[in-house]
Amino acid sequence: MRVFALNHFLNLFGHTPLARRRALWGIALILPNTLGLFFFFGLPILASFFTSLQDWNGLKPAKFVGLENFARLFTDSNFWQAFGNTLKLMVFSVPIGVVLALGVAILLNQRLPGRNIFRTLYFLPVVTSTVAASVVWTWIFQPRYGLIGNLLAPLGLRDLQWLTRPDLILIPVAVVTIWQRLGFDMVLFLAGLQTIPRILYEAAIIDGATRWQRFRSITLPLLSPTTFLVFVLSIINAFQIFDQVYVMTSRTTLGGAGGSATTLAYLLYKSGFTNSEFGYASAIALVLFFVILGFTVFQLRLQRRWVYYESRES
Amino acid sequence: MYKKRHLILLVIAGLLFSTFTAAPSHAQDKPTIAAAKCAAPGTLTMWVWDEVWQKTIKKSVDAWVKEYCPGATVDVQQHPFDQYWDLAKTSAASGDLPDVFNMSQDRFLEYASNGALLDLQPYWDKAAIKTDVWGSGLVNPYRYGDKNDLYAGPVNWDTVALYYNKDLFDAAKVAYPTAAWTWDDFAKAAAALTDSAKDQFGALTYMEYQGGYANWIASNGVTPIVDAKHTQCTLTDPASLEALNYLKGLQDKGYMPKVSIVGGSSADDAFNFWSSGKVAMVSGGSWKLPDAVSKVKFNWDIVQLPRSPKTGKSHAILHAVGYVASAKTKNPDLAANLLQFLVSDEGQKYFADAGGVAPANPAPALQKEWADSFGNSGKNIQAFVDATKDSQGVTPFGEIWNTMNTDLVVNIFDLGMSVEDATKKACDAIVPFLNKH
Repeated sequence: MRVFALNHFLNLFGHTPLARRRALWGIALILPNTLGLFFFFGLPILASFFTSLQDWNGLKPAKFVGLENFARLFTDSNFWQAFGNTLKLMVFSVPIGVVLALGVAILLNQRLPGRNIFRTLYFLPVVTSTVAASVVWTWIFQPRYGLIGNLLAPLGLRDLQWLTRPDLILIPVAVVTIWQRLGFDMVLFLAGLQTIPRILYEAAIIDGATRWQRFRSITLPLLSPTTFLVFVLSIINAFQIFDQVYVMTSRTTLGGAGGSATTLAYLLYKSGFTNSEFGYASAIALVLFFVILGFTVFQLRLQRRWVYYESRES
Repeated sequence: MYKKRHLILLVIAGLLFSTFTAAPSHAQDKPTIAAAKCAAPGTLTMWVWDEVWQKTIKKSVDAWVKEYCPGATVDVQQHPFDQYWDLAKTSAASGDLPDVFNMSQDRFLEYASNGALLDLQPYWDKAAIKTDVWGSGLVNPYRYGDKNDLYAGPVNWDTVALYYNKDLFDAAKVAYPTAAWTWDDFAKAAAALTDSAKDQFGALTYMEYQGGYANWIASNGVTPIVDAKHTQCTLTDPASLEALNYLKGLQDKGYMPKVSIVGGSSADDAFNFWSSGKVAMVSGGSWKLPDAVSKVKFNWDIVQLPRSPKTGKSHAILHAVGYVASAKTKNPDLAANLLQFLVSDEGQKYFADAGGVAPANPAPALQKEWADSFGNSGKNIQAFVDATKDSQGVTPFGEIWNTMNTDLVVNIFDLGMSVEDATKKACDAIVPFLNKH
């Protein structure tokens, strides 16, 4: 009976024995990963849906409370502050990050001596652990003894408290975010740049187009699918900023003085693991999920106005 | 006459006899806390958070297996402190807490009130161990329930004293501090030891709870932050304000560096700053002794914290880590037996030998062994033992930890908020968590 069901299922992939054998192998090969994905991502995600409807401190049995956690969320000033901080960080870091990544990609797409070394250097932060990187950046931003303080010493800013002052803390966090994101976006842009046919540039040169005109009329439109992807991924990344804040404030303000550096992801962690409110933390996770989903859908709609897909037009 | 003498002899004989029969329980070599054989061996899991302790505890556990419970196996696992509590919390939620694990005074109530811990009182009673053998500061925070049952066996004590850089004192021609120093003496020395041209500070003593400002509040006559029963925030008491304003005054005059210049608000951050030679006096824990003995390059020594002019006392904060057992352990008798060994004279010997943390077991031989374990350092290690005599147990608890350790310290000692505003803000954050345990 079970064998029959499997055969029935395999028939979906083709009716010859070969096609079915291939399908069987395919399934067998993706099974371990799929199971891993299911148990370590799928189940926790499902569980967080249920947890968000419960009052659970991690020790006592959970109690079903309906939408109470969500109701509380919308009246919680900490939540709105974290939401605001997250948006600020996004507005700081995404446009600057994307423009920088594009600039670096264009630069490193040319025939430069040591091009591969530079590409590697720019990509290194991506494969560096955010935690380790943030520790180093914490030293760089430390007043009096840090690198930045000493660079700014002639301006009398040696003792500027980057990491504790509520009005400054988001700057170091944004800097680390951009620095670490740059290499990844750069690689996407590089890949995008290499899909643009050289012939278009050659034709434009013959037509007498300036460097800027070529960039404006060829590179930007043909790169727009990549730019779109980079924007979507960067915005998702910005919504998930956590490690930087956690590390850079871990020895002083724990999320910024008065919550000034608390992002949604950090608030989620704090609610769950400091305050033991797992239901509330799960509610934050769900809201974060839907906000990211909303932003992504919004961008997908907006893309019709500015993203140019060559294949669709031809 | 003869008869009377006879009677006296008889009485003496009787007295002698009763002394002899009672003798076994009063013999000189009777341990302060005795270990006992286990009823049946089994398998236990144990968690510790300290890497150094893991080795010490392992030795102690091996001795238990060898001498008292042949055939038992104990898996001693170490999880770094910053992960330990997340792990403990999730494990408690899923009912997977290890059979025996380390607990701290500030987190105890959270676990006990949620029924996650085994009540050890019946086992203490059965083993005829009187729980007041330990000082009140060591065990009182581990009592729970209507009858004040003791849920933990204390591992160690640690407390706070003043570490000072003798070289800086010599260079500034300032007399070394003594245990008789008052806050005024301290302030004068801090002023004389500050040299802003050399980027040198006189003192650094305002840091987080145990290593810092709370000692000054305690010395000034108030239980710092919250009272023992968790019913009120004491930060806004006049004596608290006075102590904090005294410390802030020293910083405002430039004798103490700001938090962000030190790089953090923890006692460790302060100690590292002191170790770098940039500050003359720092309040530091006894747990820093091994580091200080082995790593500090300049001449240094220790003295008790200065006395409040108001109370005439130095009243340092003392904390005792405990061993607790899980309420869900499959082997409660065995877990309790291991615990009994770990706190006994025999089990604690390994801690005394290892140095670093002072064994909780009050047997004088153990305390001396601990002090001697730092070798012939010539340092006034006795200052810590002296400080334990009149000390303050840990009263704050997990939920308010960050408020008092980071927010309050950063607000006052980095962002320059007034003591009155900062303490009011802290109390506002603390009050919602009171009266809950």
